[in-house]
Amino acid sequence: MTTDSVIRQQADGVLQLVGVLDFRTGAALRDEGEKLIRAAAASNVVVDCAEVEHSSSVGLSLLLAYMRVAKQAGKTLAVRALPVEMRQIAEVSGLLAILPLQA
Amino acid sequence: MSADHAYAVELKGVSFMRGSRSIFKNVDISIPRGKVTGIMGPSGSGKTTLLRLMGAQLRPASGQVLVNGQNLPELSRSDLFDMRKQMGVLFQSGALFTDLDVFENVAFPLRVHTQLPEDMIRDIVLMKLEAVGLRGAIELMPDELSGGMKRRVALARAIALDPQILMYDEPFVGQDPIAMGILVRLIRLLNDALGITSIVVSHDLAETASISDYLYVVGDTQVLGHGTPKELMESDNPRIRQFMKGVADGPVPFHFPAADYRDDLLGTR
Repeated sequence: MTTDSVIRQQADGVLQLVGVLDFRTGAALRDEGEKLIRAAAASNVVVDCAEVEHSSSVGLSLLLAYMRVAKQAGKTLAVRALPVEMRQIAEVSGLLAILPLQA
Repeated sequence: MSADHAYAVELKGVSFMRGSRSIFKNVDISIPRGKVTGIMGPSGSGKTTLLRLMGAQLRPASGQVLVNGQNLPELSRSDLFDMRKQMGVLFQSGALFTDLDVFENVAFPLRVHTQLPEDMIRDIVLMKLEAVGLRGAIELMPDELSGGMKRRVALARAIALDPQILMYDEPFVGQDPIAMGILVRLIRLLNDALGITSIVVSHDLAETASISDYLYVVGDTQVLGHGTPKELMESDNPRIRQFMKGVADGPVPFHFPAADYRDDLLGTR
C-alpha cells in the first residue's frame, strides 16, 4: 500500500477515500474500511471519494465490499463525489444502478 | 514511466529476422494513446509478429520498441513483468484454459498478479463479465461456449487487470456477423469508456476500418502506408489500393514467386 492511499474518518459516519485505488492498495483499504464502518457510531455511513486520485476496477470493488460490510453491520451506506474515472468504470460494468450514489 | 507520452507504443527503426529471412526492415510505427489503431496487411505479412514485438515476447534484431517511453529490449525481467501487467492481449484463439470454468478463467490473472481477497476477486470477475454480457455464463466450461462467447470471455480476462494497452490479434476471425458486431462494439466501448489504447491486428478490412481511428498497412517487410481509414481508402499508392480494395493481383502478386510454369510442367528441354 502506498503511503498516500488511505481511508480515514472525516467525521462520525463520514469516511474519506484518498489516493490511488488499485491492485496494490486494494486489500489494505478493504480491511481498514471494514474496521471503520463497523466502529462507526452512526448507522448511516457515507464514503466520500472526492480525494481519490486514480482508481482501477479495484476502487469499485472496494465500494461494493464496504456496502456488504455495512449491510452485515445493519447500517446503510452511501457513496459521495464519485470521480468521473470511477463513474466510467461503473457504467461499463453495469454498477451505476447498484451503487448508492449521493448527489 | 510517464503517461504523458502522446504515443503509448512506438517502434523506431525496428528490424526483425526469422533465420535469414527479413520479416521487417527498419519499420517505424507510432500508436496514439487512447485511440483504436488498426494494423492491417495480408496474411503472413508479420502482423502478429508486430504484436509480439510490442509485448516483448520477441526481440528486434535492431531498433527500439518503446512502451510508455521505455525501451522494452533494455528492461530487466522484473520491469518487463510489471510492464506486461499494463498490457492485455486477446489472442486469436481465445486461449481459454479448457479445464477451468468461465469464472476461474477470468479470475486467473487476478490470482497470479494480485493479493486481493476472494470477495474482491469475485467483484472484479463479475464486473468484467457483465461488461462483455456474459455474467450469466460464469459457471460454464469453455467447451460449452460458442466461438463468439469464448472470445468475449477471453476479452473479460484480458481486461481483468485494467490494462492501459489492449492488443487484439485477429479478433474477427471465424466469427459470425452477430458475434463480429458485438466485438466491434465492445472494442470501441472499452477504448472510449476506459481510456484504453487499443491495437487491433487484422486482415478484416471492413470491421477494422470501421472501428479504427488510425490505420497502418504493413506488407513486404515495410509499412506500406498509414493514415485515417478515409485517407487510406483514397490513397494513390498502388500497394495500399490493392489491399484496401481487395484486388487479387497487383503490386502484391497473386502468385508466389515460382519457376516458369511451362518449364515446370514439361521440362526445360
